[in-house]
Amino acid sequence: MSQVIVTIDNIEVKVRPGTTILAAAKEAGIDIPTLCNHRALSPTGACRVCVVEVEGQRTLQAACVFPVAEGMKIKTDSDRVVKARKLVLDMIFAERNHFCPFCEASGDCELQNLGYRYGIDHWAYETYLKPYPIDATRQFFLMDHNRCILCGRCIRACDELVGNHTLGLRQRGTRSMVGADTDTPFGESTCISCGTCLQVCPTGAIFDGRSSYMGREVQTEHIKSTCSQCSIGCGIEIATRGGNVLRVKGDWDAEVNKGLLCKKGRFEKLHDGRKRVEVPLLRQGGGLQAVSWDQALKATAERVKESDAEGVGVLTSSNATNEALYMLSALTREMKVTNIGLLNGVSPGLSGIRRGALADIAKGDVILAVGADPVRNQPVASFLIKRAVDKGARLIVVDDADNDLSCLATMKFGVPDVGRAVDVAARAENTVVIYGERVPSSAVGTLETLRQRAVFIALEPGVNTQAAVAFGLKNGFKSSAVKTLFVLFGEEQWDGMDVKLGEIGEDAFVTVVSSYISPLTDRADVVLPMAIWSERSGTLTNVEGRVQKVRAAVYPEGEAKPDWEIISLLAGMLGKKFDESPDKISDRAIEALKGGGIHRE
Amino acid sequence: MSKIKIATDWLAGCAGCHMSLLDIDERIVKLLESVEFTSSPVTDLKHPPEDGVTIGILEGAVCNTHNVEVAKEMRKRCQILIAIGDCATFGGVPAMRNLVGTQEALKRAYIETESVVGGLIPGSSELGEPLDTVTGVDKVVKVDVFIPGCPPSADALFFALSELLAGRTPVILPPEYLKYD
Ligand code: SF4
Ligand code: SF4
Ligand code: SF4
Repeated sequence: MSQVIVTIDNIEVKVRPGTTILAAAKEAGIDIPTLCNHRALSPTGACRVCVVEVEGQRTLQAACVFPVAEGMKIKTDSDRVVKARKLVLDMIFAERNHFCPFCEASGDCELQNLGYRYGIDHWAYETYLKPYPIDATRQFFLMDHNRCILCGRCIRACDELVGNHTLGLRQRGTRSMVGADTDTPFGESTCISCGTCLQVCPTGAIFDGRSSYMGREVQTEHIKSTCSQCSIGCGIEIATRGGNVLRVKGDWDAEVNKGLLCKKGRFEKLHDGRKRVEVPLLRQGGGLQAVSWDQALKATAERVKESDAEGVGVLTSSNATNEALYMLSALTREMKVTNIGLLNGVSPGLSGIRRGALADIAKGDVILAVGADPVRNQPVASFLIKRAVDKGARLIVVDDADNDLSCLATMKFGVPDVGRAVDVAARAENTVVIYGERVPSSAVGTLETLRQRAVFIALEPGVNTQAAVAFGLKNGFKSSAVKTLFVLFGEEQWDGMDVKLGEIGEDAFVTVVSSYISPLTDRADVVLPMAIWSERSGTLTNVEGRVQKVRAAVYPEGEAKPDWEIISLLAGMLGKKFDESPDKISDRAIEALKGGGIHRE
Repeated sequence: MSKIKIATDWLAGCAGCHMSLLDIDERIVKLLESVEFTSSPVTDLKHPPEDGVTIGILEGAVCNTHNVEVAKEMRKRCQILIAIGDCATFGGVPAMRNLVGTQEALKRAYIETESVVGGLIPGSSELGEPLDTVTGVDKVVKVDVFIPGCPPSADALFFALSELLAGRTPVILPPEYLKYD
């Protein structure tokens, strides 16, 4: 492709025509300051901090939007430029109440950093000195208009990344205000609290309530990991300080979500108020008593050894690592246990289909969503769908249940009419089929007729469901036959479980691996404390078949242990040694996933 | 050579900036070879000498009529006025009062505080009248040098004084000495 040569601060660079001055300068290793610009958002040239001198242009130009042309000569640091930038900063500082000592962003604020860079040592202009409102109507994060610089990043993020279109600018001039649904308190608006606006805000205008004033970026440690709240597997960055998780951010470099997160992944787990299981517990004399790991594991192992294989039942949550699920499956095979169940449903297996990636959603001109409700269950996938719809894709929803995607759909059908939906989809050039657990077996054949012309994405319920299924951990569990039950319950909520535990006989011996106290742990004979998402390492398999790393950011609470370690210890007690290191187990699990056609490179 | 005279005072501040000034440590000995501290909140003399000083230093925001008088007196008696700290520069922490209003703030502090029984808002001619808005010093008198920071570092203060003593004006603080918190 042809290239143009431009000179920036006397440095020559070759770039593609149409490149912005900002991008070209970056190529040349020159740093032009920006405020309203953000790597994930479209440039708007709103703040004017990035102005530069372009030879032949009468006025200074915003580098973030101005495209280069052959032979262009640009000065990014001339006196005229610096003077203009200072003026812009002086005006921004004058506009609201920027009192840094009591601002949450101080130390991490992009405006403050530019103030330092350009030697702003006082306010050059009269400031308003009147308070602006603070909106604290959302549960997790606040909006302080005193710190807002009207850069519009939040608005663009909500539009372009989330497709939610909640935010806008109302009024004009000095009365301009960022608002939700024109002028609605955030908590009552269409905002879904995904926190994307919070993540892009350059100042202290939008900030997290739970972690505010608890640590600046330089005072915190950052651990890249994978979200384990649903099967999408978004890349996250966990910020910790002194062994505590402060906040979670979307990882801009993660291929799956490119920075996006939803309310569940960003906030809800940090506000989980359930009581943890901190030590192993064993039922003795009617009540549960704290015991050592050894005692608890021995009690379970002895009981399992005494039972015949038919009497043993195993139930597992899909919120477990590949490693734990792999070992659990190997262990059950070794013990000849076949009564195995998963705590959540799965989507039906379709044969001969082309499995798509989440990025394919953007390419679809028709998106056919069957029996899946990502708005509720895999929100980040729903953002991708909303973005595609914004760009003109047609959404067809097939579901008998109430489905939150419906309001965006061009057409909506009941499951018995799935054939009609498929007929429409078959006429499109690029069809993406998104399906979930509510696809009945009667509709499978009809969907499979699209296999030549569509890519398919199974939005699995639960978390690591694909791996669990691949490892044979869903066999059709029968509670009535169980005399000895082992439940890898993890962080599950005690409601809406697929399996009815009430049917377990009163004399059955129940071992529960759980992070939290629940009616299930109250019923158990042995309770083994499990590490939660932020405390465990391993890998998870997402809906695309992508195997991603989960990294422990903090130490487990009390004596809790990660899932795979618990299974490994129990296996040891039962005479099956997993000699390999966790990494080896990982490799073996991934091998098995490849064998099952799940793993994607 | 006669020594350069410096006077300091504080308005609505917490004394933190003066602590930072003392924090220049042993360098103060060197400094004292060429300067003389006349009046300050930590010395016996409380008002700048009538025949004036070269450098006047003010800490704290302007939040009542008394602060205005002190600032004006300092301005009248010094050649170069330095505002040190966020309060003197921007209004700082006392300016939080602007977000709720002066009367609300006084009520909350003197009457509604959880531990107070039968409280009353103090009022005396000696205290000065609270102003409606808290501001930096430059809103009432001209300021020549600003050293923001809460508090500014001893290094920033020492740097600014050294520049002035060397006759270099205006004082331009390098980014590493600039701090708004
Ligand atoms: S938003 Fe930035 S500049 Fe404004 S008060 Fe907060 S830290 Fe200071
Ligand atoms: S809230 Fe933040 S992101 Fe939104 S316009 Fe204001 S400063 Fe920019
Ligand atoms: S939290 Fe999400 S939905 Fe709500 S305003 Fe911000 S970006 Fe939009």
